[in-house]
Amino acid sequence: MLLDRIIQFFSSLKLTVVCLGLGLVLVFWGTMAQVEMGLYQAQNEFFRSLFIYWKPEGSGLKIPIFPGGYLVGTVLLINLIAAHIQRFELSRKKIGLFLVHSGLILLLVGQLLTDLLSQESMLHLREGETKNYTEADTDVELAIADVTDRDSDKVVAIDYRRLLKPNPIQHEALPFAVEVRKFYVNSVLADRAKDAKEPPPATMGFGPQLVVEEKPPVTAMDKRNVPSAVIELRSGGNSLGTWLVSGYINQPQRFTHEGRTYELSLRRTRLYKPYSIQLLDFRHDVYPGTDIPKNFSSRVRVMRPDTGEDREVLIYMNNPLRYAGETYYQASFDTDNEGTILQVVRNPSWLAPYFACILVSAGLIIQFMMHMMGFVRKRRTA
Amino acid sequence: MVSFCIIDSKSSPWLWGLLLAVLVGSGCQREEVRVYRVAKDPAKSGSPGMGQAHGQPGSRLPRLEYQVPSGWEEVAAGEMRLASFKVQEGSSAADVGVFPLPGLAGGDLGNVNRWRSQVGLPAVTEGDLAKLAEEVSIAGSPGRLFDLAGENPGSGEKTRILAGILHREGVAWFFKMTGDDALVAKNKPLFVEFLKSMRFTSPQGELPPDHPPIDGMGAMPAAASGKDGGAGKPAWAVPATWKEVAAGAFLISKFVVNGPNDVQAAVNVSMSPGDGGGLVGNINRWRKQVGLSEMGEAEIRGQVAELETAGGKAMVVEITGSDPQSGKPAKILGAIVGQPGRTWFYKLMGDAELVAREKDAFIQFVKSARYSNAS
Repeated sequence: MLLDRIIQFFSSLKLTVVCLGLGLVLVFWGTMAQVEMGLYQAQNEFFRSLFIYWKPEGSGLKIPIFPGGYLVGTVLLINLIAAHIQRFELSRKKIGLFLVHSGLILLLVGQLLTDLLSQESMLHLREGETKNYTEADTDVELAIADVTDRDSDKVVAIDYRRLLKPNPIQHEALPFAVEVRKFYVNSVLADRAKDAKEPPPATMGFGPQLVVEEKPPVTAMDKRNVPSAVIELRSGGNSLGTWLVSGYINQPQRFTHEGRTYELSLRRTRLYKPYSIQLLDFRHDVYPGTDIPKNFSSRVRVMRPDTGEDREVLIYMNNPLRYAGETYYQASFDTDNEGTILQVVRNPSWLAPYFACILVSAGLIIQFMMHMMGFVRKRRTA
Repeated sequence: MVSFCIIDSKSSPWLWGLLLAVLVGSGCQREEVRVYRVAKDPAKSGSPGMGQAHGQPGSRLPRLEYQVPSGWEEVAAGEMRLASFKVQEGSSAADVGVFPLPGLAGGDLGNVNRWRSQVGLPAVTEGDLAKLAEEVSIAGSPGRLFDLAGENPGSGEKTRILAGILHREGVAWFFKMTGDDALVAKNKPLFVEFLKSMRFTSPQGELPPDHPPIDGMGAMPAAASGKDGGAGKPAWAVPATWKEVAAGAFLISKFVVNGPNDVQAAVNVSMSPGDGGGLVGNINRWRKQVGLSEMGEAEIRGQVAELETAGGKAMVVEITGSDPQSGKPAKILGAIVGQPGRTWFYKLMGDAELVAREKDAFIQFVKSARYSNAS
């Protein structure tokens, strides 16, 4: 029967071996590809994909040539579950194997969840500085802040992926529509010559004084794309003007509309927290008489107004702060040793690999012990 | 068929769980527009914490003059500092920094408790603070000195912090020496003398209240920490329309250029030993002064033009942005002349149109400079 053959195929040990072999090749190939592509692109093309594609230059074609990480992982997961259900029965004798397989399934599911749910960001603090947000490492957002009120700002943050989709962007929180004239994934800004013939990229804010030049996107780990965009704001069919926003422009560009003041900026995506962190002290200790680093550490103060929590924590290499579902690792520092850069990871399934390892270890130990007991018993009776 | 039923019934929780996770995951990451309310950014309102970065336009800080104690080595000041020194004795080291922060800058209690935590001491109350403070003279005014010794909680090393605080005209001045306990204790009399030797001088060339602030009129450039280094002022041809004003402690020379409608620009000339922080570091510092963020080395080198001058090759850059406070267009025209063992920095900064008008005069001025060999 066809169904039986399908089940046979998905539960076969041969499929397991093939998947593991493909995984081996994939890891090797993907690791080597990072040299050319950089970490993020290699991760996306080799591991976060169903297939690895070959794109012949100039043809616009995408030809799948090898299974990607998602495909290999999913087939392996189905294979494990199918084999588990078909071959194993829950008996005392096979409890060890049951645990080993459950551990492996949990490891694969946990990895998938990590990939889908985890979020990485950075927290840069100068000594004495306090922040209640972290910033995404690669994502950017167009922030439109209504700064009219005395105590707080109302922020409408538009993810850059939305800026790439059809325009205009209208939102109930905005009294105007946002139209993206052009979005530059990577760019560089330069001064606009006074006698330049080309019109300026935008009419308002920094726009008239600058020119923006598109650059090919970069993928290397030590480089970063700096996006820019020319946006137009429209209200009631009228244009309020065009603005050049860019990762190179630190200072938000201010304008007034219907008696309220707004600030525009293209910045790294901010992730606000219900608590704040202050850097009390950053230490970069070296071995006496040398420049060889001995220790990097950040003494921070964690303050949470809603619970009244106020405590100090020392973050150093291999000793991160785990707080409110996030982990703060010591990642880098300012060259003047008065600022720290913490990598912030939110991974709801971070415990999955630990449990998986415990299950696999327990299963192997039980299986081994049962075999050993059987062997000893046999020898005694012999 | 039986097998199918088993798979279907038993695996469905896994598959549903997986499906749910995929949906939740993709939902979380694809939120396109977020609306939220946040408290005012303290960094922007000049309140405690960030303070105002030294060298930023708009900081109308007075200049500072002082006597460097023997055995202290003046080093590049860095972003938040007005001056920086290194003290080294064998394997022991200490660091001295001068930090001007507009506003209350976290309050004395907050800062002292932060420093106390850096040497493993418990926090104190406002009442205890008065008892801990030693009276000290800073620039002829009464200031407070805190001597905090303990163990660094991270490394366990014996550490001492000497911190002088002076509140003057809305600016909190922090003078801080940190390092090896014994070395800092030994240097305490020198530190006290250093505080006494401080002299504030007024910024030169007052600007109209609504004028884009001009760097150097209120604060020294971070990289130009060296005084004249014995080299003295180069011989140069100063354009007739430029008016030389007193340069202050950290500049070799300073000129003010007046434009129509009361707009102004200023030319600062400074010299620093070594590379003075390098081409990229200095241009990025200038970029920040007109509201632009840093660029990578390749991008910066792409925007720099080479210029042959009487004193060697100059790297010239033009940066247009706006004044962070008024939002009016502001421009910087900078030239960096590297010489053996030292680097000269020329910066014309102010109203964008006026700077553009003065560009040729500035280039001729930089080209005309002839330097003495002494360094």
